[in-house]
Amino acid sequence: MSGTEIFITIIRVGFGVFVPLSAVAVMVWMERRGAGFIQDRAGPNRCNVLGFRFGGLLQNIADAIKLLFKEDVIPGHIAHKFYFILAPALVFITALLCFAVIPFADALVLGASTYLMQAMPLELGILWFLAIIGFGVYGIILAGWASHNKYGLLGGLRAAAQVISYEIPMGLALVSLLAVYGTVNLTEVTQFQGRLLFGVIPMWGVVLQPLGFIIFVIAAFAETNRTPFDLAEGESEIVAGFHVEYSSMKFALFFMGEYIAMFVSSALIVTLFFGGYQIPWLNTQTLVAHARPVAVALMLILPAAAYVFARWIGFNNPGPAPNPAQRVRETKVYIAVVWSLVALIEVILLGYIVAGAGGAADRILVVWLQTAVFLLKTFFVCFVYVWVRWTLPRFRYDQLQKLGWEKLLPLALFNIFITGAVVVALG
Amino acid sequence: MAARVKQIKRRGRTFLEQLYLIEVIKGMGVTITHFLRNLRDNRNLYVRDYPEVKPEITSRWRGRHRLTLHPDGTVKCVACFMCQTNCPSECIMIEATERLDGVAEKMPARFTIDLLECIYCGYCVEACPMDAIRMDTGIFSVTGTSREDMVLELEDLLATPGGFAEHEQEDR
Amino acid sequence: MSQPLLFYALSLLAIVGAVGLLMFKHPMNAAMSFAVTLIALAGLYGLLSATLVFAIQLIVYAGAIMSLILFIIMFLNIQPDDLPDESGYWYYLAGGAAALTPLALLLLYGINSLSVTSTPEAPPGFGTIKEVGVVLFTDWLLPFEIVSILLLVALVGAVVLAGKREGGND
Repeated sequence: MSGTEIFITIIRVGFGVFVPLSAVAVMVWMERRGAGFIQDRAGPNRCNVLGFRFGGLLQNIADAIKLLFKEDVIPGHIAHKFYFILAPALVFITALLCFAVIPFADALVLGASTYLMQAMPLELGILWFLAIIGFGVYGIILAGWASHNKYGLLGGLRAAAQVISYEIPMGLALVSLLAVYGTVNLTEVTQFQGRLLFGVIPMWGVVLQPLGFIIFVIAAFAETNRTPFDLAEGESEIVAGFHVEYSSMKFALFFMGEYIAMFVSSALIVTLFFGGYQIPWLNTQTLVAHARPVAVALMLILPAAAYVFARWIGFNNPGPAPNPAQRVRETKVYIAVVWSLVALIEVILLGYIVAGAGGAADRILVVWLQTAVFLLKTFFVCFVYVWVRWTLPRFRYDQLQKLGWEKLLPLALFNIFITGAVVVALG
Repeated sequence: MAARVKQIKRRGRTFLEQLYLIEVIKGMGVTITHFLRNLRDNRNLYVRDYPEVKPEITSRWRGRHRLTLHPDGTVKCVACFMCQTNCPSECIMIEATERLDGVAEKMPARFTIDLLECIYCGYCVEACPMDAIRMDTGIFSVTGTSREDMVLELEDLLATPGGFAEHEQEDR
Repeated sequence: MSQPLLFYALSLLAIVGAVGLLMFKHPMNAAMSFAVTLIALAGLYGLLSATLVFAIQLIVYAGAIMSLILFIIMFLNIQPDDLPDESGYWYYLAGGAAALTPLALLLLYGINSLSVTSTPEAPPGFGTIKEVGVVLFTDWLLPFEIVSILLLVALVGAVVLAGKREGGND
């Protein structure tokens, strides 16, 4: 193992572990502020350190600290303490492991060796995701059962039945999709989507498989137990569902597991249907071949974006509240931080254009760009999750099962037949 | 008089509505307009920045209690126990004593209100024949660091000023 | 390198899980230890570079079937009083072990008679989805289709049975 290889492996694994973990904080923030804005409220925006609120992001840190220092209660009536403790860990770990196979940039070619940009460069790809997500159900079932509580049991029952039954339309939607791509390897799937259909439209999964996309997204919402399918924790009926008996960090593990699962399924939707890390009309070869103009374009776009962003901060951060001195100072600091970050990136890009262009630096630039695009797309899909949650009411349980078995399943089968016929006809 | 009948068209039965997806997208269109409007300009939020901006409360608001005084500075309360008898949450405790200043025959020696018990129903104010107890202080945020802090004594009640001018009181 | 070590560890886990399945009194414990066996078996398949079988083992057995079993155990809500009387447990165990000894000896003999050196290394691409698919749909097409018809019959039967009960109640 050479030094580069070890270094790249560390980066890959670090990305696979820390990006979902950090994404939890961002997503909780997005959820709470997004919910606020959708309902014409502000959302949490008060938590601060020395007056710096970071747009409400500090609230998450406060919540995390609260959960960490809370008393870890294991109720006395619980007979199977091992399963009670195992359950949240299972939910959390399975959610995190699923992310390991998702490619966040195209294969990095350095000299003679190729490095796949996945935490775990497995051939299995999507099969790994399906295998691991099945273990998440264990966590839910064990939590509901070990809690020895009516609400917990009902919640576990609902969640498990829902996840198991929606795995079928999801798997069938995947079958037709994989028939189109001809591979289960997610890096190859994404490379496939870099091509153009009729020379104009990006060959994204959503274009090739619109029906499969709808089925998959609905099933993904059900798999992650999100609204409109969050019956497992229907507050009005069963309090909190399977995590009703959990407190402190064990509850936090469930909570983070849920958000990581959401992030992972967003990443998967992006990878399968929205071209993953691909930038439309600019596939990896084009990017590598024209790295220098791309860098120049970046250098032009970044200050413009930063200007708009700084204007937005300047307008919205002081807010309507009378406490102007502190808020104005805070706003000034934020704008300064934005501009200094932009300056730093500009200097790096300038250094690249002047000195490093060509060869390995081009490819590393492309990897950075693609990772950024991948994260951007993923967070947009995460936002769609939030957006749907604060728009739609909850399903009734029988409606949920009817939708899964009577509508999505036949649709998915129909989709497989159509796709199969088209794939065979086109050779 | 014949009952007025209004026929409401039953929705959700047409094929397009049964598809759900179109209706879902319509609903999401509504929420995203709110989101984008507030993201662009957060001055339109229907939110009061509470600690900095106090809510405007009317004189009818049932805030924390106070005991009123006669214009000459003597206590209006005659310890008739009407408020204590009427109180549904039994938070008022009065101890009466003989009154020697000639205004009335009795006066309260102790008058305690346990704010942790109080449900702010205002029955004590309704019941008072002397207009001695009022809830017009305008204090809506009642906090304390201990249970004892939340028990108001006679002195506290007498010391609390009214939150509204006298002419506002008469409007109600 | 670390492969023999992994092999022994996974085999040990598989055996421990199987023993646990037999020995645990509570069905939830038994089911969980069986899940351990299934996962360890998946690991063994992985060691044999049977990638697809590894994934299928995890998806179908550990993921779907075991979680259904757990689901049912959760549904039944078994109390300690509901468990059968197992006072003659050790006698049954000893009797079973004694009855199985000849079979185990036969197996051991069979394995010992295999030549150790004659196993060639798996070719590249062995056990991947494409390879297994090609073998299934060319050499083993007929058995494959018969099995799929069997599954279809089971599926239709389940639907018919479920539908009948519903009709009877209403």
